[in-house]
Amino acid sequence: MNKYDIKLIVIILFVVVFILFLTRKNNNYANVYYNNELVLKIDLNIDKEYSVEGYNGIVKIKVKDNKLKVIEETSKFHICSKMDYTNNGVIVCLPNKITINFSNNELDTIAG
Amino acid sequence: MKKVIVLMCMLLLLTGCKVKEYKKSMFYMDTHIEVKLYDIPKDKSKKLLNEVDRIYSEYHKLTDRYNEYDDLVNIHYLNNTLKVNESIEISPKLSDIINYGIDAYNKTSGYVDIALGNAIDVWKKYREEGKSVPKTYELLNLNVDIKSISLKDNTFMKKKDIKLDLGSFVKGYVTEIVAKYLEDNGCEKYLINAGGNVKVGKSYKSSKFSVGLEEPFNTSKVYDTLLVENTSVVTSGSYQRYYEVDGVNYNHIINPKTLFPDNYTKSVTVVTKDSGYADVLSTYLFLLPIEDGIKLVNSLEDVEAIWYSDQIYYSENFNIYEQV
Repeated sequence: MNKYDIKLIVIILFVVVFILFLTRKNNNYANVYYNNELVLKIDLNIDKEYSVEGYNGIVKIKVKDNKLKVIEETSKFHICSKMDYTNNGVIVCLPNKITINFSNNELDTIAG
Repeated sequence: MKKVIVLMCMLLLLTGCKVKEYKKSMFYMDTHIEVKLYDIPKDKSKKLLNEVDRIYSEYHKLTDRYNEYDDLVNIHYLNNTLKVNESIEISPKLSDIINYGIDAYNKTSGYVDIALGNAIDVWKKYREEGKSVPKTYELLNLNVDIKSISLKDNTFMKKKDIKLDLGSFVKGYVTEIVAKYLEDNGCEKYLINAGGNVKVGKSYKSSKFSVGLEEPFNTSKVYDTLLVENTSVVTSGSYQRYYEVDGVNYNHIINPKTLFPDNYTKSVTVVTKDSGYADVLSTYLFLLPIEDGIKLVNSLEDVEAIWYSDQIYYSENFNIYEQV
């Protein structure tokens, strides 16, 4: 192995690490469904507010520090807007027929 | 030099080598269901996922308490249309699931009871109002005796105005049917999450599936992570559907002995192969004092459980599933 081999190994390793980094980053997102139809894909790396049309009206979603929260919705018990910021499991806003799940971390799924 | 290039190119290719995952989300039985299939051809995945959707849809209609469907004898029909002392022939699938419920009643000393519909309806009304608790006399006069139904050779009859409710195990029961369908059709690697009821096949990666257990009343947090394969993870908890009066939690799981909810634990999660059995057991364990539940689980083969209460309690060998 000469010094060119070593240079090549370093370059290829750099490319591999870069690709792995990109793949990881792209996986950090949430899927928002209305009535089982995917209506929005949210990048959790960007702090931002989103609005989607639910069954009872607009459902507002806020992303902060790689986590997400439903901040506004029209429903009787406000179960999903009472939940804290999360990047785990499934958020179900039943009266609005809105479901949010995540594809972001090392867990395959959440039981509960 | 050549060897190095080949080796490094292989490494580079590996980064793009990701197991193919096909998934479908659906909403049946008041539950968000997500099914993921791994490592199978795309055409096959489409066919399998469509059939999975059809199975959940079929059982959703069969076991629906609140809606009737054209030309279908379902639970709503048996509860609301069928007259007392009138018999009717029902489909083998509906017959099987009712028989499963009767069997669950016998095996759990009556703690898992499909004849509680009338009591569940009263509690549902109070829960939606969220202000008070049913009076004891409102519950005591209800028809909730499972002996009021008879089912023989697919012929169903009720001797009193009883209402069936299969909610205590239906998700697990149907999920087991779906899992069997996938396995029988050559799909070994799958993950099903039916509203927190998890069933997994063989893992798609070198390690097992990692399943987080959500913390009751703080569901954005995971309090334990399990590593599992070819098994089910099913939870019953007081944090899923409940209301509070004077600081007391009144959840959706009704104890057939008292017709009131219990609060021995905030949640109990069962790990065992069969998803229907796991669902029955988690309901049963939720209604037992934790100490009795631990003794019961320790006496059963291939069943483990974890309780989230004032502290976390485990069955004897639960740690075989825990991530170190």
